[in-house]
Amino acid sequence: MIIRSSNQMSRLTLLKRFPLPRNFGVNSKSRIERGQTWSARAGTKRIKTFEIYRYDPGSNRNPRIDNFEVDLDDCGPMVLDALIWIKNTIDSTLTFRRSCREGVCGSCAMNIDGTNWLACTRFISDTEAPASIYPLANLPVVKDLVSDLTHVVAQYAMIEPWLQSKTPEPDKERLQSSEERHRLDGYYECILCFCCTSGCPSHWWTGDRFLGPAALLQAWRWLTDSRDEATGERLDNLEDPFRLYRCHTILNCTRTCPKSLNPGKAIAEIKKRMIERRN
Amino acid sequence: METKMTGSPVERSRPQSPNIQIYRPQLTSVLSIANRISGVFLSIAAFGLVVWLIAAAAGPRVYATVQGVLSSAIGQIVLFAATFAFFLHLCGGIRHLVWDGGYGFELRTIYASGWAVVTVSVALTLAAWIIALFTGG
Repeated sequence: MIIRSSNQMSRLTLLKRFPLPRNFGVNSKSRIERGQTWSARAGTKRIKTFEIYRYDPGSNRNPRIDNFEVDLDDCGPMVLDALIWIKNTIDSTLTFRRSCREGVCGSCAMNIDGTNWLACTRFISDTEAPASIYPLANLPVVKDLVSDLTHVVAQYAMIEPWLQSKTPEPDKERLQSSEERHRLDGYYECILCFCCTSGCPSHWWTGDRFLGPAALLQAWRWLTDSRDEATGERLDNLEDPFRLYRCHTILNCTRTCPKSLNPGKAIAEIKKRMIERRN
Repeated sequence: METKMTGSPVERSRPQSPNIQIYRPQLTSVLSIANRISGVFLSIAAFGLVVWLIAAAAGPRVYATVQGVLSSAIGQIVLFAATFAFFLHLCGGIRHLVWDGGYGFELRTIYASGWAVVTVSVALTLAAWIIALFTGG
């Protein structure tokens, strides 16, 4: 099946997950245990079950999976609506980030049915039965679905995501031709939800040193900006066996981006620029 | 980052969210790992090729023994797997070469080229075996 855009659901999936033991390579603190089931009120007509990853830093317990039965007749259409419904009506301790509820802020990025996406832009009707909700993959968990983004944000800071110019500051705006402006399309729209970085197997294994797709897409956004004059320094900063070249073009990033951006292409452009400047 | 809390008790005690244990296999990741596994398999198969060549040089008795192993059921399965690994790795390699040129990064192209790799490598494997079975013997 050909996937045409990242918001398209895969209808045919042979395997829902890789054939590995559930706790393969997982340290003792991260092992997931069975949690409890919160049944729907008697008489509920349309029930949808959500399996949700829970972790409470206040207790000494391991993470667990709780099952929540949601009344679809009382709940909005999106996964985020279901989470809010659970928090309001079943368990007020369920913790998750959310803000704009329209795919603009990137706060509610999480792993839904095995792929990273924004809870506010995924329809409940597009999820499996039961739907499984985990925090973004491969990140330290603060509580429930709230993951610790400290490291990936620090990696974003490493690419120095601001305009760097050596020429004296002009009196007016720095002008661009519409063609120069057009080169930023597909890169400036990144909302830093980190769905791509969290979904990148290369970042899972070498994330301490590989910058990951989100930071590298931003790196290209500044490299290709006609107003930026630090191209050489930026490329020097990325010329490293790990920071850039741990990208093995797996392209889970492009498949998962909730804004339909193309981190894989951005990284390829950086690699090309590296070779071009050597000649 | 000044606010980084590496090594603080809070961060050390945090669990890590699962990655490969929950992440859905997709054409992108499956073909990537298949390319790696086929590469490792071909490296091992290359030793087999060397063994076969040495046997051919060592004389008819040694050669007959190696030939016997290769024509056994297990030998044939390994040879078939090696043929498939060869074509999968070849097609996957060409796909990567095109990417390195900066082409083919639209999601629909990624999927089209991915399925093309699967289809073409299966077809070439079958073709190679059909030709070998009809012309060899």
